[in-house]
Amino acid sequence: MAELVGVFAASHGPIIARDWDVMPADHRNKLKAGFDEIGQRLTACRPDVLIVVSPDHWVNFFISNLPAVCIGIGEEHDGPPEPFMQKVYPHTRLKGHTAFGRHLLETALAHDFEPALSHRLRLDHGTCIPLWRMGVDIALPIVPMIVNDLEEPMPSIRRCLAWGRLIRQAIESYREPLRIALLGTGGLSHSIGEATMGWIDEAFDHACIKHFSDSDDERLAAFLTEALPRTGNGAHEIRDWVVAHAAAGSKGFELIDYFPSPQTLVGAGFAAWKLSPT
Amino acid sequence: MTDYWVSKLFFDLLHDPKLAAEYRADMAAVIDRYEIKPEFRRALLADDVGTLAPLVNAYLLRFYFQIRGMPEAEFIARLHALKDQVWLKDQVREGAAHG
Repeated sequence: MAELVGVFAASHGPIIARDWDVMPADHRNKLKAGFDEIGQRLTACRPDVLIVVSPDHWVNFFISNLPAVCIGIGEEHDGPPEPFMQKVYPHTRLKGHTAFGRHLLETALAHDFEPALSHRLRLDHGTCIPLWRMGVDIALPIVPMIVNDLEEPMPSIRRCLAWGRLIRQAIESYREPLRIALLGTGGLSHSIGEATMGWIDEAFDHACIKHFSDSDDERLAAFLTEALPRTGNGAHEIRDWVVAHAAAGSKGFELIDYFPSPQTLVGAGFAAWKLSPT
Repeated sequence: MTDYWVSKLFFDLLHDPKLAAEYRADMAAVIDRYEIKPEFRRALLADDVGTLAPLVNAYLLRFYFQIRGMPEAEFIARLHALKDQVWLKDQVREGAAHG
């Protein structure tokens, strides 16, 4: 039987890649410390597979065809298409894990979830900035799960919690003894391309941290459902943290670091969840 | 309200560097290949952030103005000006309601 061995989350943002070498050193060091810590913890888990829950920034999908959730089941995925990413993370192919990806997809369908599937996703900065900065081994197979965090209407918070629980179920019902870790990427608050662009809503971020530290999914869902429409649009990526939270068993988490990062336009958060016993 | 064709133009420019180069050389010629309404065509040619913002996803808007070569600081300043307009409108509306 497979085993969930670690659940983590980290922020992303194009400026982290674009300005890495030119941002103030003390700020870069803070970001580096957060990513390094998560990377070291992930490595210590010795995962065989990494599920990455991330948004798609108009790379794979458009409004002509926009799934709420898409699971990547291919043997390979394409590296980031953004030129600013290719400079720092020049990997054109990332290894997938077809067998587990397909099992996750089939488990979802068997439980009345209807995700889209892809045999080859292009993994943009949302996935690849954390992989790059965490120093994730390029040989580690990835099962990408794309969540629509960008274009309304989006999956409900309750559905994201259900997705997390379903992922856990899929891991525990997989017959091979794989060690599987999960990384949620995005958030915390940020505001992109709208009248409040650049706003980092620290009150929202601290409230999220408090709710993730608790283990009351109903309160978490109620808070986010009410608060998300009133903060910056980038905060919708918190859905990827919600999936991680529920996959870990909603037993609280350890905040590795949080700080507003106006240099990169995000509330930068790094976290590792406590795992509930299987 | 989302405008499909303005969104499609932005999406295509994001994914096709040749089209983006062509757009930089002759915006009008590229715009005319899409079923874009005249008022939105004017907004594109004028880099009118305020008119375009409600028509497309906010991330696509940011990508578009990066392709247009608008410095991010200027893009943000133009968006913030919209916020000021929104607040001003709210104040006027509130004043009218209470006045």
